[in-house]
Amino acid sequence: MASCRRLSGAGLREVLGPAQGLLFDCDGVLWAGERAVPGAPELLERLRRSGKAALFVSNNSRRSVAELERRFSRLGFRGVRAEHVFSSALCSALFLRQRLLGGGGNGSGAGRVFVLGGEGLRGEVRDAGLRLAGEGEPAPGEPVRAVLVGYDDQFTFAKLAQACGYLRDPQCLLVATDPDPWHPLSDGQRTPGTGSLTAAVETASGRKALVVGKPNTYMFDCIVERFGVDPSRTLMVGDRLETDILFGKNCGLSTILTLTGVSRLEEAQAYMASDSAAAKDLVPNYYVDSIADLIPGLDE
Amino acid sequence: MAAGGPRRCRRLEGEAARAVLANADTLLFDCDGVLWRGEAAVSGAAAVLGKLAAAGKRLCYVTNNSGRTRAAYTEKLRRLGFPPAEPRHIFSSAFCAARYLRQALPPGAAAYVLGSAALAAELEAVGIPHLGPGPAALPGPAPADWLQAPLEPAVRAVLVGFDEHFSYAKLCQALRYLLRGPDCLLVGTNRDHRLPLEGGAGIPGTGCLVKAVETAAQREAFIVGKPNRFMFDCVAAEFPVDPARTIMVGDRLDTDILMGNSCGLTTLLTLSGVTALDEVRGCQDSGCAARHSLVPDYYVDSLADLLPALGE
Repeated sequence: MASCRRLSGAGLREVLGPAQGLLFDCDGVLWAGERAVPGAPELLERLRRSGKAALFVSNNSRRSVAELERRFSRLGFRGVRAEHVFSSALCSALFLRQRLLGGGGNGSGAGRVFVLGGEGLRGEVRDAGLRLAGEGEPAPGEPVRAVLVGYDDQFTFAKLAQACGYLRDPQCLLVATDPDPWHPLSDGQRTPGTGSLTAAVETASGRKALVVGKPNTYMFDCIVERFGVDPSRTLMVGDRLETDILFGKNCGLSTILTLTGVSRLEEAQAYMASDSAAAKDLVPNYYVDSIADLIPGLDE
Repeated sequence: MAAGGPRRCRRLEGEAARAVLANADTLLFDCDGVLWRGEAAVSGAAAVLGKLAAAGKRLCYVTNNSGRTRAAYTEKLRRLGFPPAEPRHIFSSAFCAARYLRQALPPGAAAYVLGSAALAAELEAVGIPHLGPGPAALPGPAPADWLQAPLEPAVRAVLVGFDEHFSYAKLCQALRYLLRGPDCLLVGTNRDHRLPLEGGAGIPGTGCLVKAVETAAQREAFIVGKPNRFMFDCVAAEFPVDPARTIMVGDRLDTDILMGNSCGLTTLLTLSGVTALDEVRGCQDSGCAARHSLVPDYYVDSLADLLPALGE
């Protein structure tokens, strides 16, 4: 079992030295709201200079990767391009493309996707070559083949009922971008997450959703397909034990918990003390107060 | 119910039907799928209830539906030809949720309600201040605006019922109240997944909305409705019912029959609603104690089957 050791001093060099690359969650790790975590941009710069890869894996399904690229830049992070960013919006679109289009081809005959989510998510689905329900006249033989549940701040009872109507067809997939029940806001409040909306759709339809995001491993498959990373030389850095750390465990990555986001050190320690095998999978290998603490582990 | 042994789901007819009905003082009826389907009475149901009433039986109505007031139910019973009922005979999840909050909340505490005008009216009737029903009153278009809106200081409970105006904004508000203090109650009227409509279609039920709130808040709601026993406790608080002389009549195993069995009542399944007989056989044949508790004592195809037993 992982031992949740503070990473500092000589330990930093031992762990970071052999690593070829790091996967970072974004919210609560690189930034909180509109503020970069102090030292985070410098860390990414130092990784670049050390020849280590930095890739980003986020359960946030609100933004397209193009928007995320602009966000990185706006918050002071240099050199992060859209191709380095794996959001649950992008990966859900890739997943649906695979399942509905067989990974290639044009959109005709594949059926349409009913998306519960904002414009960022809808754009990623369109960019994957899929057609959205409710847009344009449906061609004959173009049923709704998937319901995709994402972060939807315009979710309504009517949309829930509409989703259930489509899901009466057992051929229609039910997919969720991520399982997060809530997200923290900078003032300490919380906002409901995709997980709460997915629970409503699952209950109404009697179906279980296929969840694309962390802790499930599909997003890692997308990363490996594009960049071919070696799990034994890659570290996962995140702030949420139930998603980021479990994701790392599931993908065979060593994990670092940063304390600038959702999870508290006491929670990790409680999982470590628990008798349940499932709880132990939520314990990180290492922790830091902030990712800026990793900087001394890299060469000058 | 007969002492000891598993329940056997026998067809209720002939001499057994006469005896079971003669031994009961009180009958509790679920409504949808038992007395009526939508606006159409189940054929023969009104006649059966008329005879039961004439024989001096106490008739009560126990429904998970939170969308109507008790007055509206008495009016529907009258309209469809059932014997006259007073509001005190009607136990809807809306009425019982209001009763629960009256017991559980300190005086003057308010409820934030995800629910219908009927649910609000039942709270009004027991003097509980409330806010929330209807479309969300939003101070701006984006979540950032909603999260700045002031919270009502008196709210000490979030109540989730059937809400056709359910939205992310309302879910947000509910979460804010639940996180404000550890003693904010979370109550749901019922967990039904679907409200069946004519022709096999259905719309999402209250259970979906309760699950959304529970997931966002990471806590479990207290559920007023069947199969939990609170609604039976409300009946028992109003009338001197003896479980051994009470029959629960319903069409749904995991709500009506389970509640009746848990409360020690005699349970009668009618096949005029959502349940088919092979579902019961499946429960009987399973090796699972939880599924055995869904098996009723008796069944009929519809209430009309009881007419011969009440003939004399």
